[in-house]
Amino acid sequence: MLSSGPWWRIGWRNLGRNRRRTAITAAGLAFGYLAVVVLIGWMDGLTAEMIESGTSTFASQLQVHDQEYRPERKIYDTIGGRDGADVYSLVREVAADPAIVAATPRVYAGGLVSSGESTTAGILIGIDPDLEPQVSKLLRSVIDGRSPRIDTREILIGVEMARQLGVGLGDEIILVVPAADGSMGNDLYSVSGIFRSGLAELDATYALMPIGSLQSLVVLSTDRVHEIAAATTDPWLATEAAARIAERLAPRELGIEIEPWTRLRPEMLDYAQLADAWNGVIIFIVFAIAIFGVANTMLMATYERRREFAVMLALGTSPFAIVRTVLAEALSLGAISLVLGALITTPIMFWFYKAPPDLGWFYGDYTFFGALIRPQLKVTLNPPMWVWTALALLLTAVLASLYPAARAARVPPADTLSGL
Amino acid sequence: MANTFTRLARSLPFVFVFLPAVAHGQETAEEIIDRVDRILRGESSRGTATMEVVTEHWERSMTMKVWSLGTEYSLVRITAPKKEAGTATLKAGDEIWNYLPRVDRTIKIPPSMMMGSWMGSHFTNDDLVKESRLVEDYDIEIAYEGERDGVAVWEFDLRPKQEAAVVWGRIEYQVRKDDLMPTWARYYDEDGNLVRMLNFSDYRVMDDRLVPTVMTMRPEDKPDEHTTIRYRDLEFNIGLDESFFSLRALRSGGR
Repeated sequence: MLSSGPWWRIGWRNLGRNRRRTAITAAGLAFGYLAVVVLIGWMDGLTAEMIESGTSTFASQLQVHDQEYRPERKIYDTIGGRDGADVYSLVREVAADPAIVAATPRVYAGGLVSSGESTTAGILIGIDPDLEPQVSKLLRSVIDGRSPRIDTREILIGVEMARQLGVGLGDEIILVVPAADGSMGNDLYSVSGIFRSGLAELDATYALMPIGSLQSLVVLSTDRVHEIAAATTDPWLATEAAARIAERLAPRELGIEIEPWTRLRPEMLDYAQLADAWNGVIIFIVFAIAIFGVANTMLMATYERRREFAVMLALGTSPFAIVRTVLAEALSLGAISLVLGALITTPIMFWFYKAPPDLGWFYGDYTFFGALIRPQLKVTLNPPMWVWTALALLLTAVLASLYPAARAARVPPADTLSGL
Repeated sequence: MANTFTRLARSLPFVFVFLPAVAHGQETAEEIIDRVDRILRGESSRGTATMEVVTEHWERSMTMKVWSLGTEYSLVRITAPKKEAGTATLKAGDEIWNYLPRVDRTIKIPPSMMMGSWMGSHFTNDDLVKESRLVEDYDIEIAYEGERDGVAVWEFDLRPKQEAAVVWGRIEYQVRKDDLMPTWARYYDEDGNLVRMLNFSDYRVMDDRLVPTVMTMRPEDKPDEHTTIRYRDLEFNIGLDESFFSLRALRSGGR
């Protein structure tokens, strides 16, 4: 409709008649584009940070359990039940999925952690010191000392637990744990390191030790573990990966469940989806405001030219062609705004992406859905959303000029030309 | 008259045990419970017991020696099986300490773990601390007085005092009138749901004193599980003093 004829040229040239006004209007639309893209980028960034922090601090993006294990997390409900399973062959199978970066086995137990007169309740986690750092960040958050070594009675505890127990590196800790055979497992461990995750609960209750050491403390054989945790290349691939792994492991008939973080932490998924829905709301609000500014400009421009429209109509131009010129003008304005918007948005987005401004001076780290959020204006790059925003901008320009165009098309030629 | 008798009875526990039926005229519920407590405990005591724990996943039996002094002190030392032998629990006032022979260390149970299981049984650490303090922590009323299955009983309704730091919303406690023997106790949570039931049975005379020698605790949500404590022998008023219940004594290993 708008691709042929002189209408495009007329529309385009009309923009040049009042360049200052065109520039100001285009700047308004361009700034609207910038606002939408940066706001959405930042909100997506916040969501991504929450998911990243919430899943990779320790929980991981995908977990394999015995069907009975959750939610009670009883020490008896190991993968494969009482008979256990070939743990490392399972770990390899899980890690073989294309979306999985690495997988690692874990054993959990709840017990008392004591030193001197102080005792606190702890969540004891047996980990594979080689595989675990590839899956979660906890072993990389050691601020003092190092991870426990395999086949030792070494233990890594949180900074808050260390404070409560009054222990430091190399100090002795007593663990007392109800074992799987009903006895009270107890032994001495030495603190090999102290971690700080930033999450108060983890720092106060988690204690990590070599998996074999915890298995023998709670009288579980080495083929019994409670969890295989895996990291995915992208959190949003976890659900598909879980389905593939479930299919791959089905022939083993182990009675296991494979859960992506979206099912383990449904509240985080809900939040991510809510944030997505908000993107549309942001686009709507910003461009709804812009629409009135553009409409105002176009009304002015068409009012100033009503004599021209009258001449055109008097010469036999159809009212529809008048509408076309106005719409062409609006679309041209939109295109200029878009180029301008892209020019100012791209460098800002890449800057926020590469070196997010740190608002740490303004307020410190905070936790959100149990995930640690750094106070940064970190954005994610979301090209499809940029395209959608561009389309919304052009649509805004067209919608804003519909009314001015209709007015222009209905200019009464005789009255207008006679100066009435 | 009743008060005089009560006072006399308290100073002469042995006499009292043989004349219980005469004792209760117009006593309050608190006084009756207090007397039941005293019979079961004496000034001090020493005994041997076995504890059998049955859960969904395992069964085990432990033999232990038990000492007590008043309401404040008690000491339990496990003698069998071998893996746990020497493990001991000391209760001194509100504190509970465990001695772990394998690592030769004592640890204090933190307040947050008081509801944790004691030695893997269906009894909690809190039971060790609180069992002797019903009168202090609860308002007690006689909810029923009369016959149950041909036996004259009282049924008491215990509700926590406002300031008491207790975990139960309510306890029901049945005591036989004739010999002041407890028959059962039912523990309810704050919403009024039955959580667990303690049954007393096998009443026998030990060291000239009638006591229930078997106590069975059953959690309501797992009817197949239970813990049974059986007293094999009990002696009362054996002249223990507080030093017997020190941390040092806990470590050194009792005799």
